[in-house]
Amino acid sequence: MKLIQATKSRLVFQLGQREELLLLRVLSLYPCVPPAHRQLSKGGRLPEPEANQRLLDEALAEHRADNKKQLQALLADQRRFTHMETGAQLSLSPAQVDWVLQVLNDVRVGSWVQLGSPEELAVGLNEKTSPHVRAMEMAGYFQAQFLEALGGGT
Amino acid sequence: MAATATPEIQPGVIQTTEDKSKSGLEPGYLVICWNDPVNFMDYVTHVFQVVFGWPRKKAEFHMLQVHEQGKSVLARESMEKAEHYVHQLQKYSLHATMERDE
Repeated sequence: MKLIQATKSRLVFQLGQREELLLLRVLSLYPCVPPAHRQLSKGGRLPEPEANQRLLDEALAEHRADNKKQLQALLADQRRFTHMETGAQLSLSPAQVDWVLQVLNDVRVGSWVQLGSPEELAVGLNEKTSPHVRAMEMAGYFQAQFLEALGGGT
Repeated sequence: MAATATPEIQPGVIQTTEDKSKSGLEPGYLVICWNDPVNFMDYVTHVFQVVFGWPRKKAEFHMLQVHEQGKSVLARESMEKAEHYVHQLQKYSLHATMERDE
């Protein structure tokens, strides 16, 4: 995947056929982070901690539902990808790139959580771990490409 | 924190603003971002820029603090504002919490 055109309002990426399939596959894994993973405070010295934690949980659940809807719309939108013989072009606004980054990072972090939140990311592969390791690495691959595109544009 | 690129800034030369509000009498809440091995350094920088509207160098300074010291205090705010920032950071799947500033 590479950035082939960048303006203030639009970023166009060239993807190979396999890359397009992989990107769609990784995005379809959203959401991955378990809701109980998020905590508002470590120290727990906030007033009304349970009510405030519930507010956070509700806000994140709503955000997740919105993201899921947007994602379904993106995956269903045939015009998002322009198909060519060698692959596809993906056209996104900078705000959409930011949003795709959020979704990809949820998949990356969620996969890491599924692996037991290891300090070392080089996890041994077996039947149980390999789907999560693959999802984490693929999400990371696309994140790096999108981040590079954003960094180059600022 | 996972690396995607080598930042070019010098830590320690950036003026941060969180100390300015410390003289206020209201109880404050610290917005803290914690290190983890999975979030990319460039991603964390990007999120700080988006959520706080910081210039890249300031965002990189705090990202490096997270990476090297295990955490960074990103802001000291009223409870409502601190909550808002933690919600925003967690939407990006960063490990962020708010703690009462004693």
